[in-house]
Amino acid sequence: MNGAKLRIMVLDDEPIVCKRLKPALEKQGYEVDTFTQSSDAMEQIKQIDYDIIVTDLKMKGADGMELLTEAKRRSPRTEVIVITGFATLETARQSFRKGVFDFIAKPFKLSEIQEVVKRAEAKIRGE
Amino acid sequence: MWSGINKLWNRIFSRKRDVIAFPQIFEQFQTLLEYHQKAMELITDLGEKSGGEYIFDRKYLFDSVHELQDLLLRMIKALNLISSNRYYDLYPTLDRIFLPLEAELRGRLSLAQEPYVIKLADARLDNQELIGGKAGALVQIIHRLRIPAPDGFVITNRAYHRFLEYNDLADRIHSWIEAWATGKEELRKAAGQIRYGLLAGIVPQDLAREIKQHAQRGAAFWAVRSSAYGEDGDLSFAGLHESVLNVPSEQIIEAYKKVVASLYSPEALVYRRKTGMIGEEGAMSVLCNEMVASKASGVVQSVHLRNGVPDSLAVYAAFGLGRTVVEGRGLIDRFIIERKPPNQISSKDIARKESLIIPLPGGGERETRVAEENQLQPAISNETIRMLVKWALALERYFKRPQEIEWAVDDAGRCWLLQSRRLIVPEIADESREDICESCSTYPVLIEGHGSVAHAGVGSGIVHVVNSNDDMDNFQDGAVLVTRFTAPWLAQVAPMASAIIAERGSVAGHLATIAREFRVPTLVGVEDATKVLHNGMEVTLDTHSGIVYAGRVRELIRYELVQSMVFEESPEFRLLRRILKRVAPLHLIDPQSPDFTAGGCVSAHDMIRFIHEKAVMELIDLPTFLKRFKGAKVWTLASSIPIDLKILDIGGGIDPDVTGSKIAIEQIQCLPLKALWAGVSLPDTWDTEPIDVDFKGLMSSIGKNWDAGPGGLGTTGVNLVVINRIYMNLHLHLGYHFNLIDARMDDEPQHNHIYFRFVGGVTDVTRRSRRAQLLARILSHYHFNVAVKGDLVIGRLLHLPKEEIHRRLGLLGILIGFTRQLDIQLRTDRDTSQFVEMFFDRHAKFIEESLAKRPGGENEWRQAENYGVG
Repeated sequence: MNGAKLRIMVLDDEPIVCKRLKPALEKQGYEVDTFTQSSDAMEQIKQIDYDIIVTDLKMKGADGMELLTEAKRRSPRTEVIVITGFATLETARQSFRKGVFDFIAKPFKLSEIQEVVKRAEAKIRGE
Repeated sequence: MWSGINKLWNRIFSRKRDVIAFPQIFEQFQTLLEYHQKAMELITDLGEKSGGEYIFDRKYLFDSVHELQDLLLRMIKALNLISSNRYYDLYPTLDRIFLPLEAELRGRLSLAQEPYVIKLADARLDNQELIGGKAGALVQIIHRLRIPAPDGFVITNRAYHRFLEYNDLADRIHSWIEAWATGKEELRKAAGQIRYGLLAGIVPQDLAREIKQHAQRGAAFWAVRSSAYGEDGDLSFAGLHESVLNVPSEQIIEAYKKVVASLYSPEALVYRRKTGMIGEEGAMSVLCNEMVASKASGVVQSVHLRNGVPDSLAVYAAFGLGRTVVEGRGLIDRFIIERKPPNQISSKDIARKESLIIPLPGGGERETRVAEENQLQPAISNETIRMLVKWALALERYFKRPQEIEWAVDDAGRCWLLQSRRLIVPEIADESREDICESCSTYPVLIEGHGSVAHAGVGSGIVHVVNSNDDMDNFQDGAVLVTRFTAPWLAQVAPMASAIIAERGSVAGHLATIAREFRVPTLVGVEDATKVLHNGMEVTLDTHSGIVYAGRVRELIRYELVQSMVFEESPEFRLLRRILKRVAPLHLIDPQSPDFTAGGCVSAHDMIRFIHEKAVMELIDLPTFLKRFKGAKVWTLASSIPIDLKILDIGGGIDPDVTGSKIAIEQIQCLPLKALWAGVSLPDTWDTEPIDVDFKGLMSSIGKNWDAGPGGLGTTGVNLVVINRIYMNLHLHLGYHFNLIDARMDDEPQHNHIYFRFVGGVTDVTRRSRRAQLLARILSHYHFNVAVKGDLVIGRLLHLPKEEIHRRLGLLGILIGFTRQLDIQLRTDRDTSQFVEMFFDRHAKFIEESLAKRPGGENEWRQAENYGVG
């Protein structure tokens, strides 16, 4: 891989999603931090500018929409990928307006998210 | 006859039935088919999710189950509409199947319906909530991996709750734990109080009776072990809970209490708090196994570091009972074996074993001396070592974690598995922190980005290509199964494979199901895999990246053993599998069986099958009640073929410009009927030559004279077809047999079907049965799913594309003519074969042309797998 490893944050209040995404993305050559609490994730983005954030939309506490708004405000070059079970057109449209890179409806295939992350990486690396 | 039927009809059915017009019923039927399709898709989707390629959460499971329930409810409503409410008993059936599902989803295991004690042989898989982690693993080892373990039973969580309730302990335990957790009470005191309470508790009569019954049915002595929820899974609890060995049957109750009390040892409490498990889920099942009077016993570790490299297994062995090895008493033998095939023994350290532990006749055990001349003998043979290594690697493949296995060899030399748990190897955990992506990139890639994941994971081994039954001989444990097909017989070797790569097959197919059951990482639909992968090559499959690497990617294998989560063990996957068990299996296969009732439905799939079958039957029965069509326009087909066919168009089946009451086939717009007629009207099909009737056949035919009128070679009864543009429901009464063809052909294959039913005949039942056999053979050849019962033949096809339905209807058209009077000619069984051949000979050209695209040869496997059965 060219250049430094990209850092990815995964936020989902269902632990299974984090547990499964972490190794799958690590094997693609990314550094991955996972969070099941949106408050913890909020704190973390104050410390680190992630290259890519993968987040659920609907969670307890601060929801994904707040996180992505905050992340984009702090670091506009961060690409956000939204994963959610509430796959309605409206939420998708709303998240796109906030500058979301892509939107994946749960349940999804590992290969699907890997592909989207790869596209985000290509964009970040200006390929 | 008609008046008789009408009377019967009026007696059986309410007047309401008169009111519902056929088009309405037909519409309900079409809707029902749509629900049917959706429900089947949902079940297939759920099955696919269990393969690990998808990421899903509880919500998905919740939604899917509710959607399925909703679809079934709609199907029941539709069927009752069609049948004038004759299937009301499906409503309670729906509840019976979905209420337990609801309980599963809400995480409220309805313990009330579960037993206190359950035999290992009867315990369900994926049910750790009831029997705990250790027993849960043992059940999988026995049922899936088929490794011999001593008989036994589990005293379940329900028993534990009963015990607490009877002694009023639940609240007291809770307050002691709370006192400790909030720092009001010190650990040892809190733990001591709880344990005292449990040990002094009385096991209630009903529970004690059941435990004793099970104990008395088995051996004289028992190993009584803890099996807490989560134990031996990702949380090992190793050594925290008590095991009591060599317990006489009559003392099991005391041993039970001892083991239960160990759930609240100070160490166990601290451990549970550290792992965030303090609280409700502290429940203890207890596993009781018959003691093996062991000649030798010990431990295998599936990973052993040799010079810092984890490329070996270690077997530790001693004479007598297992405590010697497990507790590190005295000197023991050590065997180091290479992990890579053929698993050579690389070193043997035979210790001077001066003492051994033996069981005492009245229970308990004692240490005794080993005879001088035996002290330097190895405790086990090479053969036993090989067996243990095979088990250890199979267990590691299945549980996806390094394993530590306790085993014993009995006096007869048989090897038994006592328990297997996760082995923690800190060194490989450290090592695998290295950059996994970089390490993998140094290995050549043989295949990338092809195929679909049937079961996710990483597997490595030597390629063994299987293309026929013979190739399966010598299939080694841990080999990579590479195949062009996904034939059912692969089930024999699939569980032994470390990975499976198939050129064909689908993620909903048979092989995928087996792969999931045995947790074998599997890619299907990898075109040309056999061109790249050859016998003897060492490869590594990683489904997460969709890559087959050349060589053994050690870094990746280690990463998987330590870092990657074992998705199969996660609560979500286990929940999914429990749901699937209540949803997916099909028990109601034979519509003629007495169990084919609403009450006989065990799974959601059974209900779907039952409703579909009954709906088809209702529709099929309709033309019998011709009264329904009083006043409707009935057309007559003008044709040189001597079938007086009446046509009822329910919309779009006939050219709207036609006038009069007779129509030609060209004016018919119904696709299935046109397709069928293409076969019927082939020059050779309608053989009008007189048939050579022998005396027996003639007598038999004369003897029959229901209300058939002229009978014989002409036409009899009513020949009626109900059509629209894409649907046909045809009833023929030719000669003395009834033939029904119900077909739908449209652009979307998933809604298409052909239902073929044939019964009766002019001759004795033997000849009629011969004709049934002949039909069955011809239909099977064209992938119909055929059932024969006496002279009744039912053939079904589902989900084929329009053109495939078209071709097969053509074939049925030919069959109508061909079989018209065939029973008369089928004098011997040999005639059947001759006529089958004659059929193919005579109609070979048409069949060849119209079935030209029929995939043959190797593709038949795919067909057999993918064509549904109604």
